[in-house]
Amino acid sequence: MELINAFVVSLQSVWFDSGFSAFTAGNGIMIAVGLVLLYLAIVKEFEPLLLGPIAFGCILANFPRTGFFDEMGLMMAIHYGIANEIFPPLIFLGIGAMTDFGPLLARPATLLLGAAAQFGVFISLAGAMILGFDVKEAAAIGIIGGADGPTAIYLSIKLAPHLLGAIAVAAYSYMSLVPLIQPPVMKLLTTQKEREISMEQLRPVTKFERVVFPIVATIFISLLLPPIAALLGCLMLGNLFRESGVTDRLSDTAQNSLCNIVTIFLATGTGMTMNAESFLVKETLLIICLGLVAFIGGTAAGLILGKIMCRVTGGKINPLIGSAGVSAVPMAARVSQLVGSRAKPGNYLLMHAMGPNVAGVIGTAVAAGTMLAMLK
Amino acid sequence: MEHQPVTTNPFIIMLINMTVVFIVLFVLMYVIKLIHYVDPTKPKEETKEVAPVKAAPTVAPAEPEPAFSGIPDETIAVIAAAVAAAGISGEVRAVRPINRNGWKSSGRMQGIERM
Repeated sequence: MELINAFVVSLQSVWFDSGFSAFTAGNGIMIAVGLVLLYLAIVKEFEPLLLGPIAFGCILANFPRTGFFDEMGLMMAIHYGIANEIFPPLIFLGIGAMTDFGPLLARPATLLLGAAAQFGVFISLAGAMILGFDVKEAAAIGIIGGADGPTAIYLSIKLAPHLLGAIAVAAYSYMSLVPLIQPPVMKLLTTQKEREISMEQLRPVTKFERVVFPIVATIFISLLLPPIAALLGCLMLGNLFRESGVTDRLSDTAQNSLCNIVTIFLATGTGMTMNAESFLVKETLLIICLGLVAFIGGTAAGLILGKIMCRVTGGKINPLIGSAGVSAVPMAARVSQLVGSRAKPGNYLLMHAMGPNVAGVIGTAVAAGTMLAMLK
Repeated sequence: MEHQPVTTNPFIIMLINMTVVFIVLFVLMYVIKLIHYVDPTKPKEETKEVAPVKAAPTVAPAEPEPAFSGIPDETIAVIAAAVAAAGISGEVRAVRPINRNGWKSSGRMQGIERM
């Protein structure tokens, strides 16, 4: 009898300590969301490197009684790296080391396309304020339109940390959905003739230009907008590693091992912010809708300036490269290439679209810095 | 230092921010042009325009481009045989090692994938 009694008490204890006894319908919904995201990442291959860990983090975050954030451990350390702005600049270091600034340096006018694409950020900022978000929350939501995950996280932490989960998920989800979102807008706003434009070969860029640009840009932008010095500084430092020719080992680490490790932490940590209590609220739905508006607005603004540049240059610029002004390096440039080559097989726009794409990264960081200077 | 936002009017915020973004990137555009202008290593392209244009001497019809000297004859023969076996008409006129430029390689890969 005593044996049976002890057995029952033990089983009861296991049950009450288990996650099942505290499992809610919200947890179930969020785990289902995580599974859908995993499906998109693994089966549909929508940005699997980002969406995979985000989805898994979402599933992990919805197990009750894990105590992830009760005491210091791996999960809390990952959250610390996100909440204290450690991971976004490190990701920028890797992006800088991976990115060829050559197309931007060869055709600096494409910087304006990167600026135009930031229009989406401010459209959604205005929309968010009209929908009742305060100005800081609206600025953090708007930056989703920059299509730059690290910058979105960076700004959210500073202006609206309570919205971090929804903003980060919306930003990364839309980044992974660039190949689905942008092409209809591109086709709607350009004619077949414009999409068929072949662009001239870019001029060669010397090593001098490649080395001097990141140094000068860091000095200029960091002095003008100190709040984004960490982001821009890391982006340019990574690029300097790449271009200097004397730091190959550092460049290799920044663009491979370090970037991969930080991506795992950042993406998993982002997914871990998607617990049912904070995510299943009305604001999340609004943020996701506003993010889509921001993305479409940014793409459209880049295309419209691309069309203007096409007219001004007498048809030398293919307007499709304007859509790459939303950061999302290098997906947005790949989409320009894809739509251009579908319009005219053999039309290679990838290299030309990398100019506005890199300009978009800088433009989004500048937009974030301006909003921080105005609103913080 | 935290302070009150200067304005909460969304359209003024939008206008100010877009203006700042455009100005910063516009200045950066001229910084890039300045770097190019002062670049001591850039190739002197002006000299080409100054050189007087001479009448082209009469030359014999161009010979086929010679095969790259660093590639063994056996390799060239194998490539030519592979091209013929693939059913591509014409003749192999030149064989050059691929310049390992990332952009060109990417373009070639896409071309191959389309085939």
